[in-house]
Amino acid sequence: MDHSELTARLAALIEVDALNYWEIEDYVEQLAAQPTEVQEEVLRQVGVIWPVSQALCLDFLDQVQRGLNCLHHSRLGEWVNATLDVYEKDGLKQAQRFLAEVESNFLCQIRGKSGLGLTEAGGRLLPYLRGLAGRALDLASAPTTYTDSQTIFLPPEITLCKEKRENFLTYKLLASWQWGLLAAGTFSARLTPEQPLIRELIVRHGRRLSSEQPFPANFYHLFPDPELAGDLFLLVETVRITKLMRQELPGLMRDSAPILAQLRRQRPALSGLEGKNRLLEALNHWALTAAPPESAAGPNAKLYARAVELLLPLANTGGTIDDSLGITAQLYRLCERLPGGYHPEHPPILGGRLQPRAVEAIRLRRREESRQQFIKALGAMLAVEAGENAPPERHPAQRQKPSGLPDDAAAALLPPPAKGGEGEQPLKPPPAETEYITVGGREIKIPEPLRELAGEIRQDLGRIPERYISAALEQAGTAAVGGPGPDPNEGPEATGPLLYDEWDYRRGGFRKNWCTLLEKQLLPVSSPFVENTREKYRGQLRLLKRQFEMMRLQQRFVRRQKEGDEIDLDAAIEALIDIRAGHPASDNLFIRLNRDERNIAAIFLVDMSYSTEGWVSTALKEALVLMCESLQVLGDRYAIYGFSGMRRSRAELYQIKHLGEQYDRKVKGRISAIIPKDYTRMGPPIRHVSRILAASEAKIRLLITLSDGKPEDYDDYKGEYAIEDTRHALIEAKAAGIHPFCITIDREAQEYIPHMYGAVNYIFINDVKRLPLRMPEIYRALTT
Amino acid sequence: MPAPEEKIAEHRITTKPFYLPQGDEVEIAKTAHANQLPLLLKGPTGCGKTRFMEFLAWELKLPLVTVSCHDDLSTSDLVGRYLIKGGEAVWVDGPLTLAVRAGAICYLDEIVEARKDTTVVIHPLADDRRDLPIEKKGELLTAPPDFMLAISYNPGYQSVLKDLKQSTRQRFVALEFDYPEAELEARIVGRESGVDQATARALVRVAAMTRALKDSGLPEGASTRLLIHAGKLARSGIAIRTACRVAITGTLSDEPELLAALDEIVSSVF
Repeated sequence: MDHSELTARLAALIEVDALNYWEIEDYVEQLAAQPTEVQEEVLRQVGVIWPVSQALCLDFLDQVQRGLNCLHHSRLGEWVNATLDVYEKDGLKQAQRFLAEVESNFLCQIRGKSGLGLTEAGGRLLPYLRGLAGRALDLASAPTTYTDSQTIFLPPEITLCKEKRENFLTYKLLASWQWGLLAAGTFSARLTPEQPLIRELIVRHGRRLSSEQPFPANFYHLFPDPELAGDLFLLVETVRITKLMRQELPGLMRDSAPILAQLRRQRPALSGLEGKNRLLEALNHWALTAAPPESAAGPNAKLYARAVELLLPLANTGGTIDDSLGITAQLYRLCERLPGGYHPEHPPILGGRLQPRAVEAIRLRRREESRQQFIKALGAMLAVEAGENAPPERHPAQRQKPSGLPDDAAAALLPPPAKGGEGEQPLKPPPAETEYITVGGREIKIPEPLRELAGEIRQDLGRIPERYISAALEQAGTAAVGGPGPDPNEGPEATGPLLYDEWDYRRGGFRKNWCTLLEKQLLPVSSPFVENTREKYRGQLRLLKRQFEMMRLQQRFVRRQKEGDEIDLDAAIEALIDIRAGHPASDNLFIRLNRDERNIAAIFLVDMSYSTEGWVSTALKEALVLMCESLQVLGDRYAIYGFSGMRRSRAELYQIKHLGEQYDRKVKGRISAIIPKDYTRMGPPIRHVSRILAASEAKIRLLITLSDGKPEDYDDYKGEYAIEDTRHALIEAKAAGIHPFCITIDREAQEYIPHMYGAVNYIFINDVKRLPLRMPEIYRALTT
Repeated sequence: MPAPEEKIAEHRITTKPFYLPQGDEVEIAKTAHANQLPLLLKGPTGCGKTRFMEFLAWELKLPLVTVSCHDDLSTSDLVGRYLIKGGEAVWVDGPLTLAVRAGAICYLDEIVEARKDTTVVIHPLADDRRDLPIEKKGELLTAPPDFMLAISYNPGYQSVLKDLKQSTRQRFVALEFDYPEAELEARIVGRESGVDQATARALVRVAAMTRALKDSGLPEGASTRLLIHAGKLARSGIAIRTACRVAITGTLSDEPELLAALDEIVSSVF
């Protein structure tokens, strides 16, 4: 492409007004030096980024030269996609940084062709992990591997091995290992100065047990060198958890042997290390593959042998967290014999160090959440109870403190008791005492929905603190005064705003949370429109109703059956005649009652864009009226929604009739109220309506779109992009078990509709005046 | 046409079925039988409801007539009908009538699958009347003391439309079934499929993980039955990972990512 063509192409993609001409000139100059296929690719990517973020797009144009220096142009798309992922997750600043640090962040990793991103691995890894843990753990990317007991953080990309499959296995191993930490209770021990080991450590090193730090950080700080203690503890736990995993997940550990060997090869060589670092690294080598390092431990072979001896029982038979603490202390004493300090320069094995603070933060958050939930639920229950019984003079001061329990404030400050690995234990019924609580001096049974929550709180705090109950009582008191029950405001509730992804075909991926959809109710108007329409089509309507009546297949007698409830008299007489005449008689002599239920839910999605202005809109409305009248007879469930909107921030869906609603005055009023509004952004309404349909209990789910043209919006939602997004939304709908169908009056429909809906799933009506009558016919054909 | 005595003899259970009680369900069922109360078994598919009925029939030494209900099951299918045979209309008892006449156990499996009008026919049988009216013959059968009615349904996956009517369910003694706890399930899997205990335990571990995926898009976790299938395949020489893939994960889902995750679970455990 020459200079002027490039300028023109670039100007067509981006809004030139946003730039100075010399800036464009700069970009064009850079690009002009590239071969045509590279230029094409860059322009294609500009088209992908510009609509998402203009600032980012300009950054991309700034950086693209650097990117191309170390990356084949066919991989630009991957780079852009990764950048957009960062943008959508962490915002512009992070994305710009990601672009700028192209070599270290992205290119070096993908150059090997083997890297596997967490985004790609996540789809498979997350359900695996949840199955493993038995609860809804999450995955997130972070520079180092760790867990906060709710989320497992893994590196955004793994490039350890050549094959993708092996890199996935690495992810799986790391994630399983973090699960192992949770399952083995690495974060859940509780230290008190009375424990013999702790007492001994306090005496030996003269440090106090910190109450500020969560376990296991408080344990490290009992030692003069907490870093060394921390890494030793991690090593010991690695051995213990590896044993647990060998036991629980033997297949994974067998498959991972080459990965572990590879990880070991990547460890620093022992020859370059001395003293404590050398011993610890030697032990790391041993822990990874259970084979001694090549040069053993050199000068300190004896110490090394002793350390392995300490670790062996854990590796062979496993142990508890207390065993780990004891062994850590013993290893620390061994290390003390070595000269020099400990410098943790190398990353710990199998990902990152433990993050006790993160775990603690999650636990506190969970405690707060369950406190609020408990108070709210119990309060609501008490309020209902108070409403049912005579309003008792309940006062918080009257409450009786359960005997034998310490003061609630003090109780809440107590560190939580040991907990079996944050819920990793097999589910067992909550202890019997969770069934009752003392409220206002009397024992009441905890209602079923609260019991699980109460069990959780008891597990965390040992009991349900009394202030939880008093807070619930207070809440119940205020609720009882205010009167329970929902807000009396019955007004139409507009849901939303809801966020929907949009498909970008150039990117081959979704723009996440790209569109905002508002579901609104159309205000009914009083208009003679419906009555006029009925009058206008009086004759045809009678016919339609008769046809629809015939479709009510609810009960139907089938004659001449081999078996049935009644004897088919005609057939029986014929058979007798045959017998008399000496012919072989048929034995199909019964009548059977067939009850085929129509189990259909249909949603009509009506285009309310400005292009329907005039007679198109009228025809659409008439069609809806005839449809409703006919469906009245048939009894299928159906809903009507209109859609329009402008730009991605305001896609609007108008509720005209929802699935459960009757065809009444209000609905008629809303049909009359349909007026052309703005643009046709089809993706979000289709996605939303699919969701509604998917949730309905029906054997057959139909999504019928009434449209007058291509999907189009004010912004870049037009042409191929709009068609591809709509198509993708329809594919999503099909995947959810919905049959999409389109009725269109667009003369150019042939060009794009078959691609969007599939060759047979649309009908083109060339005379809009015929639409009202055609529509019930189409519906009839579709559902019989 | 075989005489009713011959027909019911087909339903006698001749060898003791293998069943490990999960709790006091056997005792409760026996007591319910002694008091002429019908049984309602609730629980997920493949957790041992049918096997329990067989075991109970064996213990009570009664024939067991099992009807698997489907959405086209009519009253005549249960009670009986006239059939024309060689120019003559012959009455043929349905399974329910057969069981009532013989004083057997009639077990209607997955009752909610049957049409609603069908379930009503069991109402007079399921309360203290214990009557079965045969309208077509103008006959009213009263069940002998040994007759027992049992129905089952799976509250997990049926739609709200297929819920059991209150008027039906409030006639039964309800027994809730669930997958047995791990150790017991491993013993069952080991015994039924013939694999060693270590493999059986691992299979149970896989099942527990799939059951935990219920909130992540899997409609139902692997049942004990599937574990036994996998175990049988494995014992007959199919590699265990393959056996799990075809017998467990493949049957649970069609969604590629979920399938992949299930495979990962299998390859972790085996």
